[in-house]
Amino acid sequence: MGSDRPVLEARSRLDGFNADRERVLREVERRVVERITTRAAAGGDASLEYVLNDVCVSEIKRLESGRKDASRWRDLAGRLGTMNAAALAGELRGLVSHYGKDIVGNFDPRVYRFATKVLTPGLGFLFAPMRSVRGGVGGLLDELDSRIQVEGPLELLRTMAERGTLVVTPTHSSNMDSVVIGLGLERAGLPPVTYGAGKNLFTNPFISFFMHNLGAYRVDRRLRFELYKDILKEYSTVLLESGYHSLFFPGGTRCRSNVIEPSLKLGLLGTTVTAYRNQLASGGAHKRIYVVPATINYRLVLEAETLIEDYLAETGKNRYIITDDEFSRLGRIVEFMRKILVHEGAVVIRFGRPLDPLGHDVDDDGRSIDPRGRVVDLRGYFTGADGAVVEDEQRDAEYTRLLGRRLAAAFPRESVFHATSLVARAVYDRVCASAGTRDIYRLTRLPPGREVAIADVVRGLGALRAQLAARPEAGREHARAAAAGDAALLDDAMGALATYHSHPVIERRGEQLRIGDVKLLYYYQNRLAHLPVEGGA
Amino acid sequence: MSRGDTVGIVGAGTFGTALAVALARAARPVILYTRTPAVAEAIATTRRCPRLPDVVIPDAVRVVGDPAVLAAAARFLVVAVTSADVPARLLELGTVVDGGHLIVHAVGALAGPDDLRVSELIERSTPVLRAGVLAGPALPGDLAGGRFASMVVASTFAEVVSEARRLLNLPPALRLYGSRDLAGVELASALAGAYTVALGLADGAGVGVGPRAVLITRAVAEAGRLLECGGGVARSFGGLAGLGNLLVRSATEDDPDYRLGRALARGETTAPRTEGARAAIAGLRLAERKRIRMPLLAGLAAVLAGKASVADAARLAADTVAAEE
Repeated sequence: MGSDRPVLEARSRLDGFNADRERVLREVERRVVERITTRAAAGGDASLEYVLNDVCVSEIKRLESGRKDASRWRDLAGRLGTMNAAALAGELRGLVSHYGKDIVGNFDPRVYRFATKVLTPGLGFLFAPMRSVRGGVGGLLDELDSRIQVEGPLELLRTMAERGTLVVTPTHSSNMDSVVIGLGLERAGLPPVTYGAGKNLFTNPFISFFMHNLGAYRVDRRLRFELYKDILKEYSTVLLESGYHSLFFPGGTRCRSNVIEPSLKLGLLGTTVTAYRNQLASGGAHKRIYVVPATINYRLVLEAETLIEDYLAETGKNRYIITDDEFSRLGRIVEFMRKILVHEGAVVIRFGRPLDPLGHDVDDDGRSIDPRGRVVDLRGYFTGADGAVVEDEQRDAEYTRLLGRRLAAAFPRESVFHATSLVARAVYDRVCASAGTRDIYRLTRLPPGREVAIADVVRGLGALRAQLAARPEAGREHARAAAAGDAALLDDAMGALATYHSHPVIERRGEQLRIGDVKLLYYYQNRLAHLPVEGGA
Repeated sequence: MSRGDTVGIVGAGTFGTALAVALARAARPVILYTRTPAVAEAIATTRRCPRLPDVVIPDAVRVVGDPAVLAAAARFLVVAVTSADVPARLLELGTVVDGGHLIVHAVGALAGPDDLRVSELIERSTPVLRAGVLAGPALPGDLAGGRFASMVVASTFAEVVSEARRLLNLPPALRLYGSRDLAGVELASALAGAYTVALGLADGAGVGVGPRAVLITRAVAEAGRLLECGGGVARSFGGLAGLGNLLVRSATEDDPDYRLGRALARGETTAPRTEGARAAIAGLRLAERKRIRMPLLAGLAAVLAGKASVADAARLAADTVAAEE
């Protein structure tokens, strides 16, 4: 069990996925059908008639709200009452198979090699200065390395990736996240991961091609019925049991406000606990699962304008799927890359130490340890009074909540703050102090063109940085920011906040800073919202 | 006897001993751990516990002085020690239990310098995740005497509630209700002790039945506020752990918290501080951190700290604005 060597690059298990895909799908179908037909014996809401009717109602509603033909589902709903048990079971099998195939992912090692060895330098070229072009492909890779920085206990993670299955759980602020973290994993010598991506992201043919061939499976958030959720969870569970490294965004969809997610929706994260329990119950070889907290820290966020508008619009708070944001416009992505990723370390991915599926820390040998550092055996957590592993969904949901709490605590600690967030917070504090409120809705109603004194902002920035330095659990400054003085940090942030967005967030006016967009200012400062306001104002 | 069916009790105080006696009389396997050799010795030789001297302890109650023996013999543990003792006992237990154990505690107080709920302390001090609380108006004398008593067991884990009910329900003597509001029941149980002191104080001052009723109902209201801010459900204070506890304990002169209140009313400011007194101070600290107004608890804490007379405290409570109930 001892960690006897550094692993420079963990093996990609997804290379064999395509050959294994049919087995995975069959296993998902077998489990879901078996579980639902077993439950159906209890009758009532669990009966097959009700389960299938739930699918029909949901699909009719979805299709007809989009003025599409729902006759297939109307027909099925009409026949349900007259179908015998065998016919109902057949219909169930058909639907499970249909939705399973819709979800299932793909991994093409050739596309992966192309994306990481050819396309990545190509992306580097897109936003690299000419000197790196002269340096050849190696130079381009170096350029990309400097754009996307990866930090954390990488050697430990590479070892864990060989020893067990990784579940990477990053913060989520942009649709660029899955692309960025994919590149980051590759640059860190970590294996590619499979992940669920919203089906709406597959609409752009260029992006869809890569997502589909790089391990992404499709999650259709419009399908709200229980059967679909069951299939999706089972698919993820089987992937984990099969040892495929995975990625979940435990915060759910992109964080609209840009705060570090304080509470997590968990979603598919629960399948980590289920997969671990299933492995224990099967009595097979003990395969460990490691949950890796990660933060993705952008200097500027591609979709910031849409996200904060959506967050602040009362009616928009429940909008779950945004299909018309900056990510849907290829030109905007290119602009983002050219303007934003020219900065060294414009994106920092920071991995934390891995946790076990119940949220315990693990030692360097991958063993779970309790809060006092004693090695614990996870099997006991899943056993009943007779010592046998027991299936208990409520217990496992509680374990998942505990894991979520540990991840939520890890996120601020592993966060890296760019000049943009630090300066935005210092400016926002001054704006709030002069306006006498921190309520963003009140601030947006104030007359435009508000100004604050640069000297006050620089002073506030110094205090903010001192506060951050004293609280390592609240995160850290980006290395580039940490090396700069307060005034230089302000200049650096001004360069970014004044150029990329459709209008400047802040502008210099002599000795004053003019607030051009208080909503975006609020958005960027929110990354530091967990730090208390000096003086408790 | 099977390990999964055995109840292990940590602490041979009045409640722990009474529960062990009640279980043994119902032919349930039970093992009692005390860290005090003199208590273990006394039980072994006389079958009586010095802290509950009137009760004969059946031979079926196995008494041990080694927590490792307890942990090996029982999967389900009940921690029944004082709030002052609980941090050290949990640290000790943390070295002998594993993730397979289930722990419920019967500590009606907040514990440690951070005023943690005991379930939080269990999570920090031991590898056990499946934890719960046992609370309610079951007096040790009633338990040991086989008289009707009721308690509530609360845990976020349904399994802990069902196991507690399987192992501790002793109909018709002990009836166990279940709840998922772990935080609420823990806070209610702790605050009930504090308000018992307040009721002793009011009764000792002879306030009369009207003001007494007002005090109880306002206690329910302000405790509910703290429960909600502490992650619980306000109405849990109206259940067995809160109101049930308060009504029973303030009806008997035997209760140490109630006795303390009466002593304070007599001006005996040096009377030994009880669990309820500690809970009042801890509860107030918690309320201040969460910025919740708790005038009754504030008045009681001031009296306990010698910063206010009983009359001052009553004035403080009465001076608060009567808003919508």
